[in-house]
Formats: sequence, structure tokens, C-alpha cells
Amino acid sequence: MVMTPPPPAPLPALAGPRFLSRDGIQPLLDLLRADGRRVIGPTVADGAIVMDEIVSADQLPRGWGDDQAPGRYRLVRREDDRLFGYNLGPSSPKAWTFPSLVPISRATRSEGKVTFDPVLPEPPKIAFLGIRACEIAALRIHDRVLQGGPFVDTDYAARRADTLIVAVGCTVSAPTCFCTSMGSGPELTAGHDLAIVETEDGLLVEAATPAGETLLAALAARVATPEERARATHEVAATRARIGDPVALPGLKERLLAQPDHPRWAEVAERCITCGSCTSVCPTCFCTSVTQTTDLAGADVVMNRTWDSCFSPSFAKVAGGSFRSRPRDRYRQWLTHKLATWEDQFGTPGCVGCGRCVTWCPVGIDLREEAAAIAPVRPPEPVIAPVAATPGAFAVGRVSAVRSETADTTTLAIDRLDPAFAAGRPGQFAMVDLPGFPPLPISISRFTADGLVLTIRGAGPATRVLCGLQPGDEVGLRGPLGTAWPLDRVAGRDLVIVTGGIGLAPLRPVLDAVVADRERFGSVRLYYGARTPADLLFRDELEGIWPHAGIEVALTVDRAGSDWSGPVGVVTHLFDRATWDGSATHAFVCGPERMMQATVAALAARGIGAARTWVTLERHMECGIGLCGHCQMGSLFICKDGPVFSIAQLGDTFGREGI
Amino acid sequence: MTERPTPTPAPVPEDRTYAVGELTRVEGEGSLHLVVRGGEIVEARLGIFEAPRYFEALVVDRTPDEVIDIVARICGICPVAYQMSAVHAFEDLFGVAIDPSVRALRRLLYCGEWIESHALHIWLLHAPDFLGYPSAIAMAADHRERVEAALRAKKAGNDLLRLLGGRPIHPVSVRVGGWSRAPRRSELLALRPALADGLAIAQETTRFVASLPMPAFAREPRLVSLRHPDEYPFNHGRIVSSDGIDIPMADWRSIFEEHQVEGSNALHARTLDGKGAYLLGPAARVTLTGGTLHPLAREALDQSGFAELIRTNIYASIVARGVELIHAYAEALDLIDAYVPPSVPLAAWEPRAGVAAWATEAPRGLLFHRYVVDDRGRIREAQIVPPTSQNQAAIEADLVVAAREVLALPHAEATHRLEQMIRSYDPCISCATHFLDLTIDRA
Amino acid sequence: MASSAAPARPRVGVVKMASCDGCQLTILDLEERLLDVTERFEILDFPEASSARSAGPFDVLFIEGSISDPHQAERIVELRARTRYLVTIGACATAGGIQALRNWGDHAAFRDAVYARPEWVASLDRSLPVADLVPVDAELRGCPIDPDQLLELLAALATGRRPQLRDESVCQECKRRGAVCVAVAKGVPCLGQVTQGGCGAICPRYGRGCYGCFGPREGANVDGLLRHLTADLGHDPAEAGRLLAGFTAWAQPFRSAIDATGGAPEGSRRSLPMAPEAARRAAQEGAR
Repeated sequence: MVMTPPPPAPLPALAGPRFLSRDGIQPLLDLLRADGRRVIGPTVADGAIVMDEIVSADQLPRGWGDDQAPGRYRLVRREDDRLFGYNLGPSSPKAWTFPSLVPISRATRSEGKVTFDPVLPEPPKIAFLGIRACEIAALRIHDRVLQGGPFVDTDYAARRADTLIVAVGCTVSAPTCFCTSMGSGPELTAGHDLAIVETEDGLLVEAATPAGETLLAALAARVATPEERARATHEVAATRARIGDPVALPGLKERLLAQPDHPRWAEVAERCITCGSCTSVCPTCFCTSVTQTTDLAGADVVMNRTWDSCFSPSFAKVAGGSFRSRPRDRYRQWLTHKLATWEDQFGTPGCVGCGRCVTWCPVGIDLREEAAAIAPVRPPEPVIAPVAATPGAFAVGRVSAVRSETADTTTLAIDRLDPAFAAGRPGQFAMVDLPGFPPLPISISRFTADGLVLTIRGAGPATRVLCGLQPGDEVGLRGPLGTAWPLDRVAGRDLVIVTGGIGLAPLRPVLDAVVADRERFGSVRLYYGARTPADLLFRDELEGIWPHAGIEVALTVDRAGSDWSGPVGVVTHLFDRATWDGSATHAFVCGPERMMQATVAALAARGIGAARTWVTLERHMECGIGLCGHCQMGSLFICKDGPVFSIAQLGDTFGREGI
Repeated sequence: MTERPTPTPAPVPEDRTYAVGELTRVEGEGSLHLVVRGGEIVEARLGIFEAPRYFEALVVDRTPDEVIDIVARICGICPVAYQMSAVHAFEDLFGVAIDPSVRALRRLLYCGEWIESHALHIWLLHAPDFLGYPSAIAMAADHRERVEAALRAKKAGNDLLRLLGGRPIHPVSVRVGGWSRAPRRSELLALRPALADGLAIAQETTRFVASLPMPAFAREPRLVSLRHPDEYPFNHGRIVSSDGIDIPMADWRSIFEEHQVEGSNALHARTLDGKGAYLLGPAARVTLTGGTLHPLAREALDQSGFAELIRTNIYASIVARGVELIHAYAEALDLIDAYVPPSVPLAAWEPRAGVAAWATEAPRGLLFHRYVVDDRGRIREAQIVPPTSQNQAAIEADLVVAAREVLALPHAEATHRLEQMIRSYDPCISCATHFLDLTIDRA
Repeated sequence: MASSAAPARPRVGVVKMASCDGCQLTILDLEERLLDVTERFEILDFPEASSARSAGPFDVLFIEGSISDPHQAERIVELRARTRYLVTIGACATAGGIQALRNWGDHAAFRDAVYARPEWVASLDRSLPVADLVPVDAELRGCPIDPDQLLELLAALATGRRPQLRDESVCQECKRRGAVCVAVAKGVPCLGQVTQGGCGAICPRYGRGCYGCFGPREGANVDGLLRHLTADLGHDPAEAGRLLAGFTAWAQPFRSAIDATGGAPEGSRRSLPMAPEAARRAAQEGAR
């Protein structure tokens, strides 16, 4: 399992955090301006929160928030009056520290003589207000790239020499955020002078440098109470939890660079317009060209350093053509530079996880999905060691309770098991052996304190016998086995579960996890279909527990009598007319393979891409530990590498007949 | 067109043909056929040969906002006029309530276009005739300061257009309901010095052109323009004439019509009452609605002593244009001083089926648009009557008069004088897409 | 253009075909820089600006407008023969212009819709870019062209270097100028991604979507944009295709995309019956 990097330890505070009311921001602005600084901060303009010069607190986006998804940004009104209750907009400090067009030299030519006069920068003294941890990380990257090596961009260095930073720790997050994965946020750790965390109480301000201390002292704010401090800490921690860990960074460089010919490069190039918006909004992209403005004689020339983009056809052009003539080449260049080769050049990835390239891509291409599809992580090994994981070995468990779910489906509670079973994860299964019958893979439909619960449909001789067990009967068990639903990835995000018939069984532990910690997830929707109303499993949960826990449950059946007033038809019809936006949603799907194919297609049409769609596959298994060969599919053993896979991981083997 | 005029020497004194090359320093291409028999002008005909572009068909099935973008392309010199006639026609049909500041900004936009167009015409197209140069560029060799001042003054108008519309030619911000972007007050105030400088240049220019020798000419044309009780007409008013026409602008078709003339790719306009030619443009406006000129413009007109001559001597239109140039700068400055950003820059609207008709005053005269709109707001049928189409008959009538004055002159001088007269109309190349070739056939 | 230095004072012509004159007006709108240009270039023939005429030969000839009648088709060939370096300026000359929408339709129907006596009107059945008839050495895009690009080209011609006309998207200019993307933030369909920059991203900076007047950029992924507009955002395919049916509609790949989506507006696509307006005019002609 890839662990989320722990939040870096904060620097020792030079002074304890102080408390400012929201109205207390104006005196801070005044102090910064009295120091001769232009204050660059957030303001609402042209339908977004952008950075611009701020002279009055009235310009700040008080009460404004935003709604972001791949390719989509909308300003929204918040229900409170927070000043910094928004996520990052399109503009970043780059526009001030590394402007889009800067004159760098003036050259003249007269009677055969040439002169070059570098344009010496006279940068304004700037104070950034409201920038976030990921943006400070981006500045750190630029410091390394533009002035940390043997050659220095003099204009950048001059602009950075005297930059004061009043940063804000994030108490909000957008579905496009992934600073947590890149180790750049949401906590403020270094690089700022003053740190602000805004809570419902107001602003907690803490100095991190002598300059910040001077400011804080001049503000004459009281020391924050322990309760105020606790709330601030909690809100930032909750932001980290909401964001989760959307990009598997460890090993990403090697995995990406191993895939120069992955078919996904060509697929993304069909969507990519190569407009270069991603590189322009990226706070670290630094590629430029020198453009010249000349008089008609070409004798008086001003050279300008101008933002360029590796997506422009001419960027890699030489006489005879471009080295990266195809859009797929240019997309690969960008993604591999950001996430892989940058690390070789400069020691860190070139990405800070701000998510701008995701939101501001006009066609909504999500770098996280592309990276996951091109460089998939092998599903993490189970964190527990399965019990009896050798051929022929089974642990013994005792049936403690039997419950008839439907005419052909029975739930068995097993207890007195090795505690390792209880540490299993949602989506895992067990091999169940009743001497005299072949061992069967059975989904674990619940984990209990001293065992687990199996839900079995009596479809064949062995399963019918299992359904007939009584309390006190013993069975052999090996497990828990296989991969689990990726709850860590889904934390803080929306989840759609689509399932049919017995397929609900391996998903019930997911719903248990949601009920146990509802705050950990965004909206959760369950779409469930069965043959008839009498075939619906887990009626208590479907009709009571789950809806009460804030899970949206929608049911459908193939055939119904007069006692059924709900929808009739295939499960995908349940969300044909739904209004939710799938652009940042994950989906878990389990059911017959034909049903899953239709569902995956329907989800894709609603914007849930292959890297966010997860399925659990069923195959003939005898060992469950990758030794018998029955469940092989392409390069995968379903038992060991699965049964939970992302569609991106399966690629075109998913749904293909005969594999 | 297949027949190209070639410089032809005069072969037989009794049966001479004078030919001038394509008329220059007008906007567009056309030809003129002048037949002289026994010293009498028996035919003066303007042919319009430039390839047609079929705008009235191109807008069919388009949305009103698309139409505003498309009809601008009829003319690179007066695109705003086309956008204004169209946007007002649609807003009138759809019953869109317009913020007063939106209305003020539209007047300001029109000021920008009048400045650009009139300054261009006075200095770059027309003045070289009076001063004896082939072009303003050639004129700059002797009158560099004047030409530089003129270019500076013209730039002030273009900068105003650029701020309001993104670019001076084919601006992008005029939308049904208002503006896709309204300027900030500070942005407008930044233009003030250049406009004030332009105003001073325009005042000097008007004094200067009024001092130029005017060729003799006298004809009492029928004058037509918009008139509004409170303001010099840009976007609002009634259609009035020097002989008593006074109708709502939407009723243009009750008085006027277009017809096709052989040998011309433009449709000519005329009145239904059979009186024939009528004159649009600065001379008509200054005469018919001079009372609403800005006081500074009125003062310049009075001081010029041209108020009467402007009406009867087409060559004197350069003075009328100067007076209107002063008006445009002065009103632009007033509008900027009074500017408050609109509270609703872009009002919402719903399409409605019906006929959208409106006229505004392009720099060179009344521009009438009429659209039949379906219930989705799509155009089913369009009629666009540019000022130059309407002025063609007046140009032909004036040529007969002017020719009588010049036939006695030497060949070169005569032809130059006729060209100068045609330029006095500021005929719009692009509007009617005309190609003027002037030949004088003396049988 | 030859890589050697251009002659000291290149002889220049400016002529028009079917157009609105806005691009040649951009030359006169160089304002305070106009006189510098006329000092460095000899203006041989520029009928809109000067009565002094010449038939060439030209070192540089700027062509505005599309080729849309038989005379223009002959004339452009003659002009090419008298020109060393031929530059097309604007959407009409480089792409056929807005009038090229008639290329989708029945030209006779167009003529009949506007003129009561169509037999008096001579025009080609299509409006074509200059490069369809003669070789072109350089082009300036736009409806109208951009004055800074014009100056850059003139400076390049004056010194004999290659002009710096970047092949980037409008999006990059938009972002460099700090404008907020109207497609992402407002859901406004915008052609900036597939359109050649050079205008300075005027439309998005003025709160509306780019309408493609600078024409398709090299390798423009129009299919990708249309797929996004239709499949992801739910626009009707023909309406999405219509976005392309503007001032550079005839340029590829816009043209093919318009065909594929059925995006050509009715006014350019249908064989119009004689429009009521023209019918009325015809009736009036008949009455006289």
C-alpha cells in the first residue's frame, strides 16, 4: 500500500499564533502597503477568483467560493463570509515572479557595430497575500530552476529577492487538488513570512520569519485561544483527509518512463487540443522563447522573454521539421517532464498538485487519470498476511449465525477465526472449503470483531451445501485474499456504486465503512438492481441504515409484481437522467460481466474515466493465491492481482471475449 | 469585370473619349460612363462591378449575435455602423431594456467610428485633391506636421474603438442586450488627453479646410437624415428630409425602395414618389439637424461661413465632415466625463418572431437594416441598404452638373475635378463593393 | 523571400479582391508608424490611399480579399507574374472569407436571393483563397489582420529576415494576458484552442468566445474540440459545427468539420428559393 506522506513537521514558531477578526485584514494590507509593497492577492474578476493588486480588503473575495472539476470552474457564493474560502483560480504568483513577457535586452546595430544592453529589472516590491502551500512549493521549484543552478535568470532573481509572503493554510479543497500526493500541502511549512488559517472564528495568524514577526507585532492582535488553535488544526487536517491521496507518487517516475509506447499516449492525444492552457496555468512551467520587437530597419531591437509552450508545433522545430510533430509526442513530453524527468534535472517532480492543469484544460483532461492509466500502480499487496496461504491449508471457522436473504441466497456469520481475518479490507474474498467439495472463492460481505460474514448464492451443488450450513457447523477458510476497493483514493470525493444481484455482497463492507465514518466521503450513491423485488439482498440496510446514513440508494428490478412501485429495468437506467457531475467521482462496480461492461460505458459517458472506475472480476479459482493458474487473464491472476481492478489497469482486456 | 479602362489619347477632336484609371482614394471599385453630345451630358452612369458577397443571404439562419459579427464585415471602414443598425433592430423587436450607460457607450463607440472615418477621409483621401498631391503620403513631404497631426487625431478615434470593442476594425463587444465587456472608468479617462488633442486638431482642421478654394458647383439636392430632438443623430431619431418627409426609421420602406440597374452589382435606392435622387451624409445631417450639434461644432460651422454652401456645393462636404469631426471628439469627451459603468452591461433577452428594422447614421449617411426573424430568433430574410447605394443617384445627378462645369477645362484638370467630386461623397467601397472607373465619352 | 538582404527600398503594391477593405485600412491605421513605413518602402500602387498608379513590377504585393469573380481570377495570375514576394492579408485572401460560406450552396440561389436580375451579375460560384490560384510567399491571418503582425512582417521584409509569426493557439495569448478562460469559467463555446493566435486573444478578453477569425492553427484538433462540445457538454453537433462556419470556414480542417457535423447554416447550404425580398424587387422591375 502506498502511504500518504506524513505532513512535514512545522517549523518552530517564532511567536504563537494570534487571532484577527476578518475585518482585521485591512490593517495588515495597510502595513504591507506602508512598507512600499504592491499587494498581490485574490479578487473576483471575469467569473473567477484571480490574483491582482489589492489596495482594499473590499476587493477580497469575501463570501465567495468555487466549484471545480476537470475542464470546469464556476464561482459560487458561500454560506459564510470567509475571505479565503475559495480554492485556487487560474492565476498564480508566476505572473509576477516570472511574467509572461519581460524585456531582457535591447540591441542596436549601427554602421556595422552592434551593442547589447541587458534590461536591468526594476521589480516592484511585492507582497503576496493568500497564496497556498502548493504555490509556495511552486516558488521553491522556480527558485531551484531559475536561480539554483550555475546560471541565473536575473529578472527572476531580482523579483524574488524581496518578496514577502502572507500565505493561507487550506481549509477548503477542490476535487482537482492533489497537493497531498505531491507532498506540497495543504499545511504551510516553510517559505512564508506570515501564515494565516481561516476558520469560522476568524483568522489565526502566525509569523514564520522576522519580517513576519514585525508585521504581527504591529497588528497588536491577541494570542489565539487553545480552542481557536484546535479548530484551525482540525480544519487543515480535514482538508488533507478530503483530498486523500489521488496520485501514487512513489515509483511514478520509473513507471512513467517505462511506458514511452503506451497506447494511452495516442488516446489522450485524440482528446488533447494541444492548446497549451495547461502549461500556461501551471505555476512551475518555465519554458520561454525570446521574441523580438524591432524597428523597420532591424537596427533597434528589444528582446523579450515570453512564455511559450511545449504544446506549440514550433517549440521543438528546427530546419526540416519538428522533433515532436505529433500531439501524442507533445503530451508525453509535458507529462513525463512534469512527473518524471524534472526530478532528474532538479531533484523534485515539476508538479505541486495544485490541479490548475486539470481545471483549466478546456476539454477536461485529468493529468492524474492519465498518469494512473499510463503508469498504473500494481494494486497494493494486502497489509495483512492471509491465513493458511499455502496449497492444502485451511483455517477452521465456526458458523455462528445463518440468515436467509432470499430464496437462493444465504448469509453465514463465521466466528472463532484467526484475528487476521478481521483485519481484511472491503472487496477481499476468502476460499471456503467444505471437505468433499471443491474450494470456492466467496466474497466477504462484512468484517466483524471476531470473524467475517459470507453471503452465498446457492447456484451449484457446493454453494447449495454451504447455504444449508447451520450454526455450529465448521468450514475451512483461506484468506482474506486479493485486492480491496481503494477507499483511500475515494476519501473526500464522491462515490458511485453500481451493482446487481449477489454483486452487492463484496460492496457491503464499503458501505459499512461509509456508515462508520460518513464525513470521510463526499456524496455516496448506490445503484442496485435485482431480478425481482424478492431477490434484493440486505433489505434492512437498503431501506433503513444506508439511507439514514446519507447514502443515496436507488433500486431497480428486472421483473416486478404489483407490490413494487419502483423502477423496472437495467441498473444503468437509474442514473440516465441523474444530474450529478462525474468529473471527479469514483465508481465501484460489481455484477455480471455484461452488466459491468454496460455500466462502465455509461459511467464513462458521464465523465467517470477509466482510472476512477473500479470493478471486481470473477473467474474460476481453486487456490486463491496465484499458484493454480485457473484465473489467469492476460498478464494478471485475478485472485492475486485482483479481484478489484481499475478499468485503466485492465485496458482493453476488460470485456474482451476469450481471454 | 472584363473591360478595363486604359489611358487613351484623344484621337479626333470632335469625337473624343476621356478615360481616367480606376478612381482612387475612394473605398472600392466601380466605373462611370459619361456621354457628351454637342456639349450636353446625355448620360452619367455609375457602374458597380465589384464581386458581390451576398451578405443578405449569408445571414439567413443565423442568430442575432452572429449577424452583428457578420454584417460588420460589409465594411472595414464603418463596421460599427452595421453593428449598430443591426443591434438596435433586434433589441427593438425583442423589447430588450437597455441600461442608460449601455446607450451612452454605444454613442461613444459611434463617436470613435466617426472620428476614424472622417479623419481618414478628410486627410488621407480628400485633402490631397485640394492641395494637389496624389496622396497624403506624398503630401507629408511638404506638410509633415499636418499629416502627423492628422494621423494622431485619427489614432485617438481608433484607440477609443479599441478600448470599447477590442479592435478598431470589426470590434467584438457589441451584443444584443449591451456589451460583452464594458470599460472601466479609469480606462476611458486615460483616453481623454488624446481626444482633447484630437479636438484641437479637428478645430484647426476645420478652419483650414474652410480656407481652401472650393470649385464652383450648385445643385439643391433633396437631403435625408435621421433627426432627434435632443441629440445629434447616431442611433436614434426619425427619418426626415429637406422637403418634409418625417417618418419612424422602421418605416423606411414606406418612402424608399431599392432597384437593380444593369451594369451595376449594387442595388440603387430611390424614393417611391418619383422625385429620384437624394443625398445622405454630413452635408445632409449638418443642414437638417445642425441645431443639435455640440456647441463647439456649431461654433466652428458658424465661423466657417459654410452653413449655406454645404447644402448646395458638394465639394464643401469636407467642411461638414470637419464640423462633425469636432462634434465627435467633443461629445466623446462629454460622454467620458459623465460615464458610470452600466449596472447591467449585458441584459438578458428572449427571441421573438417578427420584423426587426432600424436605421442609424453611418459616417457617410443613413444605414437601414431590416430582418425577418423567426420564433427561435433566427434570421429568415434580410435587407441591408448602405448609404452609398442611396447616394448613387445623387452622385450621378451631381456628375451631370459637375461635368458641365469642367468640360471646358483641359483634360487632366477636368478629370481630376470629377474624381474630386466623387470623393466628396466619401463613397464606401466596401459597403456597396463598388469599382469606379471614370470614362468620359464625348461624341 | 530570398535570404539575402532585401533591396534598399522595396517597391510595394496593395490591391484588393472581394473584401471589406479592413485589412488594407490596417496599413493606414499604423498611425504614427505609417510615415516610417512609407519612408522605408516605396508605395508603388495603393489605390485606396493614392492616385499615383503603377502596374508594377512589385517587390512586395499585398493582396486583400478572396477570388470570387472571373476577372479577379485572371487578375491574380497577372499580378503574381509581376510580383517577387506575394503576401495575402486577412481571412478573405487566406481562407476565402465569410463570403466563402456560399461555397456550400447553390451559387445561383445566392445570386437570385439578392438580385432581381441575376443575369446582370458576374461572379464565380465559389469564393477562394488566393493560394488556390497562385503561389503565396507569406500570409497574415485575421479578420482583420493585426497591426503588430503587419509591422513585424514589414520589418522582416525590410531587413530580409524571416518574420516571427508564432504558430501558437489563442489560448496561450489569452493566458499570457491574464484573461480568464471563458470556456472553463463560463461554459462559453470558444474556438481559441484550435485557432491560430496573433490577435492578442481579443474575444476572450472581451468576455466572449473566440470565433476563429485567424483561422485554424497547424494541426488543429477540431475533432477533439467538437467531441468535447457534443459528448461532454451536450451541444447539438450541428450547432457545434456552426461555430466553425464563420470567417475562415473554408480553411481546412474547419471545412471538413462543418461538412461532418452538418454545421453549414441554412443560408449558405440550401438552394434558396427566390427570397421574398428579391422577389419583391423583381416584381418592381417588371412593373416598370
